[in-house]
Amino acid sequence: MSISARDDCSASVPRRVCFNGSNRDFRRIVFRSAVLLMATLGLYRFWYKTDVRCFLWAHTEIDGLPLEYAGTAMELLRGFLTAFVIILSIYSVAFIVVLNLGGYATEMTVAAVVALLFLSQVGTYLARRYRLTRTVFRGLRLRQTGSALGYSIYAAGWWILAALTLGLGYPFTRAALERFKMRNTFFGDLGARFDAKGGWLFLRVFPIWLAVAVPASVTIVSLAQIRWRDVLVAMPGAGSFLARAEAVSPGFTESITSAAVSGAVCLAMIALLVPWFHAIIIRWWISGIRFGEIATLSHLPARNVYAAYLRFAAYVFVFVLAIAVMTIAVFPLIGLIFDGRKSQISEIVTVLLFVTIYFISVFGSIALYHTTVALPVWRNVADTIELVGDRSRLERVHAAGEASSPLGEGIADVLNVGGL
Amino acid sequence: MRSYPAIYFDGLTSTLHEVTIRLLPGRIVISNAGGNSLDEWHYSRLRRFNAPARLLRLGLRKNDRLSRLDIADQDAAREIGHACPEIDRSGAGARAERKRTIAWTFAATFSLVLSVMDGIPAIADRLVPAVPPVMEQRLSNAADGRIRSMFAGRNDDRPFECGIGTAEAPGQAAFEKLIEKLKAGADFKLPLKVVVIRRHVTNAVTLPGHIYVFQGLIDEARNPDELAGVITHELGHLANRDAIRSLLQATGLSFVFGSLLGDFVGGGATVFAAKIVSKLAFSRRREAEADDYAVRAMVALKANPRAFANFMERVAGARNRGSIFIAHPATPDRVAHINAITRSYHSGVISLLEDSEWAALKEVCSGYR
Repeated sequence: MSISARDDCSASVPRRVCFNGSNRDFRRIVFRSAVLLMATLGLYRFWYKTDVRCFLWAHTEIDGLPLEYAGTAMELLRGFLTAFVIILSIYSVAFIVVLNLGGYATEMTVAAVVALLFLSQVGTYLARRYRLTRTVFRGLRLRQTGSALGYSIYAAGWWILAALTLGLGYPFTRAALERFKMRNTFFGDLGARFDAKGGWLFLRVFPIWLAVAVPASVTIVSLAQIRWRDVLVAMPGAGSFLARAEAVSPGFTESITSAAVSGAVCLAMIALLVPWFHAIIIRWWISGIRFGEIATLSHLPARNVYAAYLRFAAYVFVFVLAIAVMTIAVFPLIGLIFDGRKSQISEIVTVLLFVTIYFISVFGSIALYHTTVALPVWRNVADTIELVGDRSRLERVHAAGEASSPLGEGIADVLNVGGL
Repeated sequence: MRSYPAIYFDGLTSTLHEVTIRLLPGRIVISNAGGNSLDEWHYSRLRRFNAPARLLRLGLRKNDRLSRLDIADQDAAREIGHACPEIDRSGAGARAERKRTIAWTFAATFSLVLSVMDGIPAIADRLVPAVPPVMEQRLSNAADGRIRSMFAGRNDDRPFECGIGTAEAPGQAAFEKLIEKLKAGADFKLPLKVVVIRRHVTNAVTLPGHIYVFQGLIDEARNPDELAGVITHELGHLANRDAIRSLLQATGLSFVFGSLLGDFVGGGATVFAAKIVSKLAFSRRREAEADDYAVRAMVALKANPRAFANFMERVAGARNRGSIFIAHPATPDRVAHINAITRSYHSGVISLLEDSEWAALKEVCSGYR
């Protein structure tokens, strides 16, 4: 069959999943969009998301057949506008209530934040439904059942557990939520489930947790031993600050040194272990997915994820240097143009320049992340998936379900929890 | 007429059909290996779907079924593209549409920024009269508690307010007399509590129903008129209800810019910029109006309306070099404005306090040194 005979994926006949999108095409999408996002203050994001999804889906093949993304940017825009109106009304009511209750402003604000966090979980679940029903394979769509409200209650409970256990419960939270999502996931009439165990993940990520938590707790304990109020009072004055601080808070030098060292160790651990953590989570997650009797197994090597992050770090370093040079060059220029006079115009120009530099940094870093981490990881994940079980079942699936509304993507977007 | 190989999914099951397609005038006939026709698609209903570049993936518009035809043969794809330009095989149509979209998005962004920057303050102005003062009062009572706890800790055991105890009582009496005079002069009728705070900062802070005058301000003032100028300026903010106005504005701006423009990629910066720029544009107006109010009050009291400008110039002029991060507009502009509108006025014919009262007021915080 001519369709499965391609350059990129043909070498991998036993591998049934592969990704064959070119880095260059992806870079073109990402960097062109970055400029447009900047110029439209982010409004272009609906088109950007859709372009990226189309690219990733179309170049991911299962048994030589590419996935198809059937969503459109206009749908995302519509979902966003609907969600915007809904959340605007919630905000307005909350604002009026806060004004009415003055004295309880803090409590009301907390309640509003909790309500919005809850709503963001509803949005996340609905957004997943949208993405699945816009994913077409073999002429059938994927779909998701289950109530978004039910999911958000369930998720709230599990996230509270993860928070209360300082992250130790995270693997179990993750497993429970994936079980919920996957048992509500279908390819046509073929039901999915999630078989990976939270305990397995816990054993793998516990060393990472330990490597970060130990230095972090040393930092916290050291900082807690300093009598901050007295030190702050003693801050201004002549002579050695350390001596004065030591006088009001005995052991200050020792505590601050150990806090600095352990804080640095903690940050270094996070930087070193994030790629590993990322790889473990992906391997665990992929290997837990079942569609009927078909299982997916991930053989993603952690070193590939490390390589992606390393490249990202190198690019970001160069990028930050460039931004710094630009900033240093721009400010004397303002001084020259306005000749040291302070006027409203010069203030506005300065603010706008600040914002432009900020935008370039943010959009630039996101573009770098998408090209150096997101795409290579997606590629590596796809290329290292093994399908186990009777794949002929995939050829006897019947259609079911229909396209769902993009409202969830809108809610997630308005509440800033949306992603690609 | 030629036949080409293709892959067909009927949209009912996932079964892959290796088919032959024949391109007839106006339609495509899809038949299986046995020569039986599986489906017939009219060009008028064709639509191209997302697929890698090497494939032409077709389906039907407005179809409940997701039937798909994957055509890898480039000749076939070309021929269909010619016969049915609507499918936009080259993507030129999509690119043109994308250009239009980008143009519209630019226009939308531009008009949004303009209308939000102008519209939200305008909406806030209209809403302010609709907010009952009692609401404002409740908010500020809550804020009062926070201000007190914020400053209390740094004051050791000394009371938060000045004018406490016998040593500070005469100063407090003089201060209260001054406030009553100013309220009368400004015809200010809203509920108000003015206190002196034991902190060496040359400033005054206003919340609805509350003015906090810092000790540093009294220390720096050389005569009652200078202090009175600052306080009547703050009375102006209260009379104009600027606190609730800026609260409404800030809430509106954060919401619209934060969510409409999205934090997907840095809406936070947009909110920040919007706040600063709107502050530059609108807080200047609020300050100027409060200055005008102060001048009117001082003129009505036959006190020196220029004293405030001198005071500002002397105290703030040294430090506030028009930083963008301060709410008050560049001091020289305000000083010039006040001097301009008071040119024809006297420099004060009646003193607001007796010399002895002023001396006592200067010592209002001296009891707890």
